[in-house]
Amino acid sequence: MASDRGVRPVRLTIADDLRRNRATVFFRFLLALPLMVWLVVWAVGAFVVAVVNWGATLVLGRSPSSLHRFLARFVRYATHAFAYLNLAAGPFPGFLGRPGYPIDLEIDQPERQNRWSVACRLVLAVPAMLLVAVLAGYGANIYSALNSRVGLSTVLSMAAFLGWFSALARGRMPRGLRDLAAYGLSYGAQLWAYLLLLTDRYPSSDPLKAIGPLPVRNAPVRLEAGGDLRRSRLTVFFRVLLALPHLVWLTLWGILAVGAAIINWFATLIRATPPRAIHRLLAAYLRYQAHVTAYLFLIGNPFPGFTGSEGTYPVELHVDGPQRQNRWTVLFRLVLVVPAFFILAVYNLLLTVVALLGWFASLITGRMPTDLRNAGALVVGYLAQTYAYLLIVTDTYPNSGPAEPRPAPAFPRQPLPIRAPAAPPPVPV
Amino acid sequence: MAAGATAGMAEVRATAPGWFRRPTTYLLLCGAALWAWAAHALWASTETAPVSGPHLDAGRYFGDSFLDRSATYSHFLEIESLLGMVVLLVVLVLYARHGHRLMRESAAGRIGTGMLLGMLGFGVVWLASVPFGLVAVWWQRRYGVSHQGYVQWLIDSFVGLGGTFLFICLALLVTIGLAGVLRRWWWVVAAPVLVGIALLYTFASPYLITSTSPLRTPQLVADARALEREKGLSGTRLEVEEVHRFTTAPNAEAAGFGPSRTVVLWDTLLDGRFRRAEVRAVLGHELSHLAHNDPLKGVGWAALFLIPAWGLIALLTRGRGGMARPEAVPVALLVLVALQLVTTPVLNAVSRRQEAAADWSALAATHEPAAARSLQRRLAITSLSEPDPSPLSSFLFGTHPTALERIALTYTWEERNLGSSHVR
Repeated sequence: MASDRGVRPVRLTIADDLRRNRATVFFRFLLALPLMVWLVVWAVGAFVVAVVNWGATLVLGRSPSSLHRFLARFVRYATHAFAYLNLAAGPFPGFLGRPGYPIDLEIDQPERQNRWSVACRLVLAVPAMLLVAVLAGYGANIYSALNSRVGLSTVLSMAAFLGWFSALARGRMPRGLRDLAAYGLSYGAQLWAYLLLLTDRYPSSDPLKAIGPLPVRNAPVRLEAGGDLRRSRLTVFFRVLLALPHLVWLTLWGILAVGAAIINWFATLIRATPPRAIHRLLAAYLRYQAHVTAYLFLIGNPFPGFTGSEGTYPVELHVDGPQRQNRWTVLFRLVLVVPAFFILAVYNLLLTVVALLGWFASLITGRMPTDLRNAGALVVGYLAQTYAYLLIVTDTYPNSGPAEPRPAPAFPRQPLPIRAPAAPPPVPV
Repeated sequence: MAAGATAGMAEVRATAPGWFRRPTTYLLLCGAALWAWAAHALWASTETAPVSGPHLDAGRYFGDSFLDRSATYSHFLEIESLLGMVVLLVVLVLYARHGHRLMRESAAGRIGTGMLLGMLGFGVVWLASVPFGLVAVWWQRRYGVSHQGYVQWLIDSFVGLGGTFLFICLALLVTIGLAGVLRRWWWVVAAPVLVGIALLYTFASPYLITSTSPLRTPQLVADARALEREKGLSGTRLEVEEVHRFTTAPNAEAAGFGPSRTVVLWDTLLDGRFRRAEVRAVLGHELSHLAHNDPLKGVGWAALFLIPAWGLIALLTRGRGGMARPEAVPVALLVLVALQLVTTPVLNAVSRRQEAAADWSALAATHEPAAARSLQRRLAITSLSEPDPSPLSSFLFGTHPTALERIALTYTWEERNLGSSHVR
């Protein structure tokens, strides 16, 4: 997963120590009210300035410095306010959008922009608006914050919702949830910067480009999204139908996996370590699930095999061998996994939007955009981690935020020969 | 003398061509004889309805304007259908030549890759057929036979393709899996397995029809039960399928066998346009199909054509390494579809014979030839089907006797059983 982090004109920086004051967490929604009211007032002014800026940028080919500064400050303030509201940051932010907040935004000076892109900015932003609707609500605006119906259907607000309980209990925001919220904030800020003509760089949904230094996770279940981005238009067009036999097989295998997981639960409760044979079966199931999900949602290109064998698919799931697990977490696994499924619910929305946009992009260009592929891979990886936790394959809790994957060997590309020179060795289904 | 005969046989063998001396030749000859016997038995198992009836003047029954209108309507659809078949074959020929290149889109083993190629083959065929399907919808809408929207048709058609994909995957799983084990003789085992799947599908098909609900009209249920007893049946499921959102054309079907035996009436048949006696005639017809075990015979006919078809596929895919290799799948699809097109007129003839027998049997159960006549006339008018199409049209497309033939059949029955006929 290549990344051009650090060269984007709008960058989210994080200097947050994860500590949270329980009192301010408890009253966070009410404490943020004045910030939101001020944001509404500021938004009215920003709208007028944005219209002027649009005309000026169309004529001059770049945004005038004074207007750019005003709008950049507005976007920065909105990011601070929403970071505070959604528990991505601890301290109460200032009202002027000055730099220096723990979750901050760096916006480059105005640069020359393509006039066609400026003229059609609202239309061009439609795909990004679809994504932001899932990542942060409609542009991380006040409406989504105050509307509870929309609220919990976004990645940002779900991170805040779960983080609220955790921060109240432990006085700290979990790193994964904070990074997840930052991912949503970053995308929202990029979209606003794009809409307000602060940059003509299209918002990037790549989680690896969204925030500053990412943690390198040494998780026992990790996804490696390799392979090229080329997509066959024919298989993209029929992707849902082509995945049908896999979905049927996955369902049948899922029934077997549930049975195996129940045995695994008893065995791990007694021995503290999952039996190797069951672990291997469940790992194969998880790998197959990852292959099928990646194929269905266009994260991977080739039609996957039916066995979930390791090293057979470019979007590969690596599952470490059975490790000793805490018996208490095994006993209460069904309860403990519930928050992860909350995250998974919004992540699934994200995956659907990614697939929808990727479907159009792949049909038109024959390639899956890197950003969309990586956003989808984040979800597929989380899905695998969650199920691995649920099925007692590991007791490492799923990490909800983006993380640098541990380096793994490259995918060995072994396509079937077009014409077999001699009788080939039998390959399993 | 015996020694002389033996010597003579040996001489014949020595001078005969190579293929004549192979045991395979004799096996195939035995197979062909067995096939012919089974086909004859299956054909003869359907009771014969009188094929010749009184000559009727279509104009007197339907009016000249309807005849013109239905002829225009049908001819367009027939020409469009023929064009569609040509395009289908061209697409499949191209796919057979180049389809194997799509193997690079697979990371699966040979069976998975074969499934992908099979699905994509049908996908390409679907793409090529979409324009023809849309034109047909346009034509049907223009004549008021259908009011299905174009987008709705596209969605329904696409979803239906999913069912085809699943079926082809199952068929290829059996085929490629067995070909990997049995090599050249895979089809001998694969054909019975696939026939078994077809049998299972026929049994389950009534449960796969969506948008159905039980028939609730008490008089019609009573009529159906009475006809059932007449036919020696019991416990037949009576369902109504909701289709009025898409079409105004009436229809009905008999599906399943044994405990899954079902008669499905389209709700367009129950919207008040048809009298009770006419619906009774429909029920009698469909129950006759079930009494004659026509769904099972359909599987029998499919088996008769599938077994040699599979053998031919095994032969023609050898150039691609045989059916054990996924690259043979596009060729197999071409052969299968081409065979299907070639055998369609034969299967149409079988179908026409079964339909005529069901008509005759229904008349014996209802004793209402006048209602049957009126039903056939009304069916033709509401479906805008040509009452007396050309023999070529019947040969290529006719799955049922023509409306005029079916009306003539009622007069024949009347004459033979009631001793009077009032042919007009």
